[in-house]
Amino acid sequence: MIEVRDLVKIFHARGHVVRAVDGVTTRVAKGEVVVVIGPSGSGKSTFLRCLNGLETFDSGHVVIDGMDLADRKTDINRVRREVGMVFQQFNLFPHKTVLENITLAQIVVRKRSREEAEAKARALLAKVGIAEKEAEYPSRLSGGQQQRVAIARALAMDPKVMLFDEPTSALDPEMVGEVLDVMKQLAREGMTMVVVTHEMGFAREVADRVLFMDEGKIVEEGTPHALFSSPRHERTRLFLSQVL
Amino acid sequence: MNRARPEWPWKVLLALILLGLAAGIWGATKRIDYTWRWNRVPQYFLYRAEDPVQVPADGRVTEVARQGGRAVVVFEDETGQQHRFEVDAGTVRVDPGEDLFEGDTVGYRVQWRLGPLTLGLWTTLWLSFFSGVLGMVFGLVAGLCRISKNPTLKGLAVIYVELIRGTPLLVQIFIFYFFIGTVLNLDRMVAGVLALAVFAGAYVAEIVRAGIQSIPRGQMEAARSLGMTVAQAMRHVILPQAFKRILPPLAGQFISLIKDSSLVSVIAITELTKSGREVITTTFATFEIWFTVAALYLLITSALSQVILWMERRLAVSD
Repeated sequence: MIEVRDLVKIFHARGHVVRAVDGVTTRVAKGEVVVVIGPSGSGKSTFLRCLNGLETFDSGHVVIDGMDLADRKTDINRVRREVGMVFQQFNLFPHKTVLENITLAQIVVRKRSREEAEAKARALLAKVGIAEKEAEYPSRLSGGQQQRVAIARALAMDPKVMLFDEPTSALDPEMVGEVLDVMKQLAREGMTMVVVTHEMGFAREVADRVLFMDEGKIVEEGTPHALFSSPRHERTRLFLSQVL
Repeated sequence: MNRARPEWPWKVLLALILLGLAAGIWGATKRIDYTWRWNRVPQYFLYRAEDPVQVPADGRVTEVARQGGRAVVVFEDETGQQHRFEVDAGTVRVDPGEDLFEGDTVGYRVQWRLGPLTLGLWTTLWLSFFSGVLGMVFGLVAGLCRISKNPTLKGLAVIYVELIRGTPLLVQIFIFYFFIGTVLNLDRMVAGVLALAVFAGAYVAEIVRAGIQSIPRGQMEAARSLGMTVAQAMRHVILPQAFKRILPPLAGQFISLIKDSSLVSVIAITELTKSGREVITTTFATFEIWFTVAALYLLITSALSQVILWMERRLAVSD
C-alpha cells in the first residue's frame, strides 16, 4: 500500500542544514498498523507529512497505492483523496459546524450530493460517538471531541490509508482514551494506518510493527513485543527507558 | 476592596465640556458678526420648481378649463391646430379669447424637485459604492497575488501597492483624469470611480494579505490533506475565516473611501462637496452649508459602521 525508498528531506534553517528525514526505506502493507516512535526532533512527523505530500522531499520515492509522489506527473490531490490525515492540533474548520466540517470535502472534492454527504457524516459521527454534536461549532467541543470529529472528517473521504500525527499530544489526559478507542476500532476494521505517537500502550496493543526513528533514520523496527521487550540498539533502549 | 465607583460625575463633566465647546462656537460667531440662516438650507435638499409653459406659435386661447388644482388651457394657433396645456390652476395667466404670441407664458407647472445637496449626496453614495465594490475586487486579486509563490504575480502586486500607497490620492485623481482619461477617452465619472477604486484596492490588498496570513497554517494543510486544490481551500476554508477577521479594518477602509470621494470634486464631478461649494456661491451661507455637508458625510459613514457591526455580530456565531 505504501512504499518508501531512500526518502530524504533537508531543511535549511539559518545556515544550518538539517537532514530531517535521512534515507528512510520501509513498506506498509494493506491493513497493517505501523506506529512510529522516537524522541522529538527525530523527523517522525516530517516523515509522516511526506507520505501525503504536505512536505516536499528532496530525493527518494514515496509510492502510495501505485502512485509515486516523486513523479511530477502524479496529481497530488488524487493521492491525498486516498490518504486521510489527523493532526495534533485537530485543525477543524472553525467557521463550519461539525456536520459541515465533515461534508465540505465530500461535496467539493468527491462531488457527492449534500444528502449523501450528510448521511455519510451522520453515520461517521455515530461511529465516533458524538452524533448529538452535529450542529455545534468546533469551539464548543472538548479537545477529545474535536479530534474525533477530525477523524470522522478524514474517514468521510473513504481513504485507503490513515495517517495520525501525534493525535493525542494536545489533549487533556482524561480525553486521550476516547480518541485511542476510536483508533483501535479503526485498526480492528482493517484500516491501513501509520501513527506517530508517544502512547506506548497503544503501540503495544494495536501495532503490527513499530518503527523507532532518531535523527531522521529508522534505527530499529519490529513487532511491538520484540522492540519493547528486547531492543537491539542502545539508542532505542535509552529512549524506551525514558518513556516507559 | 473593589468598590464600584460612581460614573455620573464623569458624565456630568463630559456634558459640561460639550456645552463649553458649543458656547465657544456660539461666542466666536457672535464676535465676527455672522448671521446664521439655517432656514435657507432645506430648499437645497428639496424645493418647489415652477416651470413656465409657453406657447409654440402665435394664436389665441379658446378655452380655460379648471378641474380641482389643475387647469387645461386650449390654444389654437394660426394654422388652426389645437394645443392643450396643463398647468397649475392658481398660475393661469391667460383668459379665453386672448391673443398670444410665440413664447408667451400661459401658466406654470409646479412640482417638487431634488436640490443640489440631495443630488450631490446621491452622487457621493453611488460613487463610493461602485469604487468600493471595484476596490474590493482589485484588493482581493492583488492580495492573493501578493502571497502567491509566482514571482511575476507577486512582483506586480508589490509594485501596485507601493506605487499607490506612496503617492497622494489627489495626484492620482489628476493622473487618471488628465492622462489615462485622455489616452483612453474616459468619461470623468469613470476616471473618478477608477481612481478611487485603484486607490482603495491597494489598501484592501494589504488588509487581505494580512488576513489570509493570520489564518493558522494548519487550516490550509487540513484542507489540502482532504484533497482540495489551493483554490478550493482558499474559497471554502481560508477566505471565509480571513474575511471575518478583516471586517473591522475593511470597514475603516471603506469609511475612508467615502470621505476620500470628496477629492474627485477637483475633476468637476458634482458630488456632495462640490454641490456644497456651488450652493455657497449662490447663498453665501458658508458656515451652514459646510456644517450640513459634514453632517451628511457623518450620516453615511455611521450608517456603514452600523451595517458592518451587524455583520460582525452575525459572523460571530462560530466563536
